[in-house]
Amino acid sequence: MAPSNELPGSIFFYLIIVGFSAFFLLTIAARLIPFFKAKGAPCLDHLPARIGDFLLIMIGQSKFFRRKYWYSGILHPLIFWGFLVLLIRSLNLLLSGVADPLSLQHLPFHIFDGYKPVMDLFNVAVMVGLAMGAYERFFVKPQRLTLNLDAWRIIGLIFFLMVTDVLANSFELNLEGGSKEAWSFVAYGVSNIWSGMGLSHDATGMLHATFWYTHLIILFGFLCYLPYSKHSHVLTVAFNVFFHNRDRSGVLRPINIEAMMENAEEGATFGVGKVTDFNWKALLDFMTCTMCGRCQSNCPAYLTDKELSPKEIEHHGRMTLLSTTPTLSSLLKGKPAPSGGPLNLVETMGFDSIWDCVTCGSCQYWCPVMIEHVPTILDVRRYLVMDEARMPETAQATLMQIEQRGHPWRGTQFSRSDWMQGLDVPLFDGSQEYLLWVGCSGSLSERNVPITQALARLLLQGGVSFGVLGEEEPCCGDPARRLGNEYLFQMQAQQAIEIMKSKGVKKIVTACPHGYNTMRNEYPQFDGNFEVLHHTELLSRLLKEGKLQPKQGLAETIVYHDSCYLARHNEIDEAPRQILESLPGARVVEMERSRKTTFCCGAGGGHMWVEESKGQHINHARTEEAMATGAQIVATACPFCIQMFEDGIPALEPDEEKRMRAQDIAELLEASVGSVPPPQPAAAGEEVPASL
Amino acid sequence: MPLHIIACVKQVPDPEAPASAFRVDEAAKKVVPAAGVTPVISQFDALAVEAALRIKDAAGDAKITVISLGPEGARDVIKHSLAMGADEGVLLTDSAFGGDSYTTALAISKAIEKIGDYNLILCGRQATDWDAGVVGYGIAEMLGLPSVSLAKSVTVQDSKVVVERVLMEGYDTIEAPLPALVTVSNELGEPRYPKLQQIMLAARKQVTVWGAGDLGLDASKPARALRV
Repeated sequence: MAPSNELPGSIFFYLIIVGFSAFFLLTIAARLIPFFKAKGAPCLDHLPARIGDFLLIMIGQSKFFRRKYWYSGILHPLIFWGFLVLLIRSLNLLLSGVADPLSLQHLPFHIFDGYKPVMDLFNVAVMVGLAMGAYERFFVKPQRLTLNLDAWRIIGLIFFLMVTDVLANSFELNLEGGSKEAWSFVAYGVSNIWSGMGLSHDATGMLHATFWYTHLIILFGFLCYLPYSKHSHVLTVAFNVFFHNRDRSGVLRPINIEAMMENAEEGATFGVGKVTDFNWKALLDFMTCTMCGRCQSNCPAYLTDKELSPKEIEHHGRMTLLSTTPTLSSLLKGKPAPSGGPLNLVETMGFDSIWDCVTCGSCQYWCPVMIEHVPTILDVRRYLVMDEARMPETAQATLMQIEQRGHPWRGTQFSRSDWMQGLDVPLFDGSQEYLLWVGCSGSLSERNVPITQALARLLLQGGVSFGVLGEEEPCCGDPARRLGNEYLFQMQAQQAIEIMKSKGVKKIVTACPHGYNTMRNEYPQFDGNFEVLHHTELLSRLLKEGKLQPKQGLAETIVYHDSCYLARHNEIDEAPRQILESLPGARVVEMERSRKTTFCCGAGGGHMWVEESKGQHINHARTEEAMATGAQIVATACPFCIQMFEDGIPALEPDEEKRMRAQDIAELLEASVGSVPPPQPAAAGEEVPASL
Repeated sequence: MPLHIIACVKQVPDPEAPASAFRVDEAAKKVVPAAGVTPVISQFDALAVEAALRIKDAAGDAKITVISLGPEGARDVIKHSLAMGADEGVLLTDSAFGGDSYTTALAISKAIEKIGDYNLILCGRQATDWDAGVVGYGIAEMLGLPSVSLAKSVTVQDSKVVVERVLMEGYDTIEAPLPALVTVSNELGEPRYPKLQQIMLAARKQVTVWGAGDLGLDASKPARALRV
């Protein structure tokens, strides 16, 4: 029997339910308005995989089980699973509150009796989780957390939810007894205290009703408070996880520029300059962020004292969204939005923050609730570039450079075919298996030219059938896209796809992870479908097949630096290590942040060419980490990473003798495979063979 | 009546192309740029457009007309200037044009006369291909206008132009009555980056094309300066 089964309790019961529900539903309805007005986002593709992800990430809490955050990895699942289990208890509270026959107690085979010990167990589990959370917030105070009263309110509400649940149960046991009363072992234990005190039946009934109603009120109060709290993820996270973007994390979605050009009326924008221009999934991200700060404490920009914190991006997105969303009071007054007016998105998020992002995707890797920070930041960056033409000077110079000269390497003294001198590399004509995509850096940047040459010699020696595009090779478009000029990117991508299609290219191998990511994952957006390999993948295959055989010993310690676009965005972290481990005598060591948790070299997202004017240089932070391993060589597999180390090493180690060397894996492998005669170094300005 | 500013822009082979990309044709005594060298707007001229736009931004209302003399391909630098925010473009193209600085200045000055109601003419301090730096002052001479060189800042106040003119150390502030001609130096800053919407609007804008006949010049007798 619930206290609400008879008058006047039932009036009280229905008043609570109807009142709180109305408040809650009105709030949600108002909050949903911008979602229905927002742009769409693909959300139902790959349904079976979505369901799998949902079970793993949401129900299984898989993104919490990471060593770095082991403490939260215990406390959050305790609370979350407790919630799932106790939802049944809350359901029963309502059902039995309406009428006793509806109570789950009356289910056949005493199923509910079996649930009781589980329920009590999780009552305790949740309280343990809360205590751990409270301890962390009160004593440990990790820097990533936003410490505020909101969190304490939530902890308090849940705690009293648990306490009142146990108390109400304990009095109910004394009122009703039953054969399986000991199964609710916690409540049973507590009920024995009351029995021992010799409470009268009436007093027990009174206390039962008190705690029963208190529990009900806290339950509904909690529900109504949630939308106003940063803990609104309780309401949104299931949707956020289920509808998350299933593209690889390094992929940006295209803008249909042609369509926008056709109806380019005044005021049409290409990027996102107003919060209402985001797609609904980005808005859901804002409402789902709990400000746990995992993104922030793994963000290379934040960790080197830049303006950007991905956490604040989401928080500011939320503030801006709420500033345009009707509130209950504004609705009642018939106003469309709260007073104070909408916040300016760019000003709130911060111009510098938008430009600090290196698109390394670390934030998204760590986010337990599948928030997509990078596309959100890039949407605003697109707005700044294409709609407002507001950007750091060096970003502007880079975009102008790409626009005018078709590559980002301003002032290069090389042409795209200079590196080929003295090498018997054919132009691609459709008869070869692979196109070797050299990339702008591979041909035009001084440090990368010998790497391209080493790779070409290895491919020749390994008997790989390949050709190059030579002077015809365009820029793949990656820098333009990450710097926010989608229009320029699309022109370049279409040009590249056209050239490759006209030559009959099917397979591409490239030494650039950024080109790799763009060609493999983004060209399909423009009907460019090629099989793309990174050079470390092809080289490790040649080693396995015995077509390349390392001979020369390399008695040195090597630390491998994972490129974000290789390891994190595209999950290529094994092939480079296999190559290094095949080098006779080499000792391969690891940095703390490696593979998918790698730390950006500082050059991603177009930042190879953008001046880093604030805080520590990202490449210095990473170089420090590599040097701390004591390795003599830092091995890279990306044209940008290697340059960032080449810059960072002398800055940190003045003594030339003691300096670590930065080398591409292709260079190291070639040194060991060895039998190819040394090439003529390509000097700038020399005649290119007429055959080219 | 709103200000009318005329900016002169030239298309040049990319001055940042590696030297190795250029060949000398011994017979014709001319530099032959390799195919890979992209034609671009002369950087100082882009700054002339930028200076005009800054005046327009400050005045709130002004008309900017861009003139380029060159082959049909020079339309690109006019489109670029329109995308930056200029209002109209005029392309002077004729086989009789462009033999040297004198004929270039002559043709441009005739075009400016034809346009008529202008207040200010802006040029780059020199073109970034031959770096002669003569055409601007030639235009001023032919039109009988005061000219100020090497501006790092150009503002219009009432009926005069105020120019901060770069010196070795510091700068002069020079005033000239309008109409006048000013050449702009790199100290002005960076030319603005075109917004996408303006690129699209610029793509649709018509560019006026004039030949020698339109300017009252005799196409059959190209005027040339004597070799000095």
